[in-house]
Amino acid sequence: MIPKLEWSALVQAADQLGHREDLPGELVPDYEKNEDFLKKVHRVLLEVEVIEGSLQCPESGREFPISKGIPNMLLNEDEA
Amino acid sequence: MKQSTDPLLRMSSQGDDVAEQSSNTVAAPTSSSSTETDPTSGTTVTIGATVPTGFEHTAAEEVKEKIGVDAQISKDRGRIYFPITTDKLSQVHLLRSVDNLFVVVAEYDHYQFKESKEETLSELQELASKLPWTNALEVWRLNRTLKKKKGHRKVGNTTKAKSNTEASDVAAAAEVVQHELPEETSAADGDAKAERTPDSETCQQDLDENAPGAKLIKFRVTCNRAGDKHSFSSNEAARDFGGAVQEFFQWKADMTKFDIEVLLNIHNEEVVIGIALTEESLHRRNISHFGPTTLRSTLCYGMLRLCKPQASDIILDPMCGTGAIPLEGAIEFSESFYIAGDNNDMAVNRTVNNICHIQKRRADKGSPSGLPIDTVQWDLSNLPIRTSSVDIIITDMPFGKRMGSRKKNWDLYPSCLREMARVCRPDSGKAVLLTQDKKCFAKAISRMGGLWRKLHTVWVNVGGLHAGVYLLKRTTAVFGQTPEDVHESRGRGDSQMKERDDN
Repeated sequence: MIPKLEWSALVQAADQLGHREDLPGELVPDYEKNEDFLKKVHRVLLEVEVIEGSLQCPESGREFPISKGIPNMLLNEDEA
Repeated sequence: MKQSTDPLLRMSSQGDDVAEQSSNTVAAPTSSSSTETDPTSGTTVTIGATVPTGFEHTAAEEVKEKIGVDAQISKDRGRIYFPITTDKLSQVHLLRSVDNLFVVVAEYDHYQFKESKEETLSELQELASKLPWTNALEVWRLNRTLKKKKGHRKVGNTTKAKSNTEASDVAAAAEVVQHELPEETSAADGDAKAERTPDSETCQQDLDENAPGAKLIKFRVTCNRAGDKHSFSSNEAARDFGGAVQEFFQWKADMTKFDIEVLLNIHNEEVVIGIALTEESLHRRNISHFGPTTLRSTLCYGMLRLCKPQASDIILDPMCGTGAIPLEGAIEFSESFYIAGDNNDMAVNRTVNNICHIQKRRADKGSPSGLPIDTVQWDLSNLPIRTSSVDIIITDMPFGKRMGSRKKNWDLYPSCLREMARVCRPDSGKAVLLTQDKKCFAKAISRMGGLWRKLHTVWVNVGGLHAGVYLLKRTTAVFGQTPEDVHESRGRGDSQMKERDDN
């Protein structure tokens, strides 16, 4: 699973939420065998949920609201 | 085609003794009750299961995987049979591809019906007292105990709030009835099975009043009949057979508040008598918040099995509706991660509610919560997902009759398939798509040969409509480089302009 993640994006998001704990900025070699590390990743991936907030596109700055845990990624008519 | 491997568990009436009625019935019943009884694992019986039509093989696979026995697929569509020792009964209830379960009392492969209706019905009546009921009834009793132990299954808690799954299942039955017609076996004769009222609450109360083995047992007979050579109707068979059963056991007949439901399934020359082990279909187990087109969980499970989710797979449902498919996946194939999305407000809300409901139920039982699933509101033609990042796409595409419209599908399907091809990983990626609009789908897919390849199709029945589940493989072609892409993206710009003008 971890190879499928954009690691830096995950760490940044966790950081902004105040839930980074001590996740490394880069993947360490042999992370697959590091129990402690894997538990932290599991936690941040599956146990931390944004209920209210927003997602911001790093390129355009466009914000997508999150309400009740659901991000609304619908574009407005003029944006499509 | 039904293949028998175990002669003990199957009985065929002696084909040459057609005239001799007694040998049909007397000779046959020995087999069921003479199977070995192992003190540790219990008696061996045959279990029958109804499964979504088209998914008989996946159901048989699940049985092999979880129970460890080979299942036979009946000629009567949507049914499989397999032998178990009674110690496996609780495991059988955990099967996810099964709608309903019953224990076989007796089965006849080539039942020779009499010429006249009168004689046929009279023979059925005589049959009642000659069948090997013992083992099946033992299983029925055992099953009842299991249900009581489980507690949450069919305890009548109608007074509780909607958090109780079973109560909401029943409450939503009204909605279910509109959209989920019970599967009928044949169009040859209009006879349907007797009404099945979901009266599980009162039923349970009756059970409590009757201690196991107590005298007054209430029953009813449900007959499913299919075939064009029968001289009788399912109602007549149910009535007469039921009358004889009542005589024999001195049970009380009750259409709505019954303890035992005897099943009489007749499909051409195949006759199976069974006792039901499930009161209400298991197919709505995960969903407490229904939508207009919610798929039953057994169908969701069948579709998921078809695409064989692997650990770490990213699985997308871009038109999730109430989230039935990804939710079933998150529970049953939990080593993958599911992203459910829809453009509709109500749909995403219902999805989240359904997920929360399950998470709460699991937390109550002490399981770790945190199902591997997230919900997003998005536009199918502009998925906020990186190119080539999804392993499997699985969804129920709008039918046109129940949702959307035929004309809309004409435009929607190709753009769907393109966007899905974009996000899906080339070469290893797969898609499992359910749709009733086979014509539209075929046309859309034919224009996508560079991106999608059809691997397999399963024909199913969804709410009375004939639909197809298409298993597709993503080609190795990188998106944006096949000739179809280039053509389509040019065309797409134009159609978007057009849409705006229309608004």
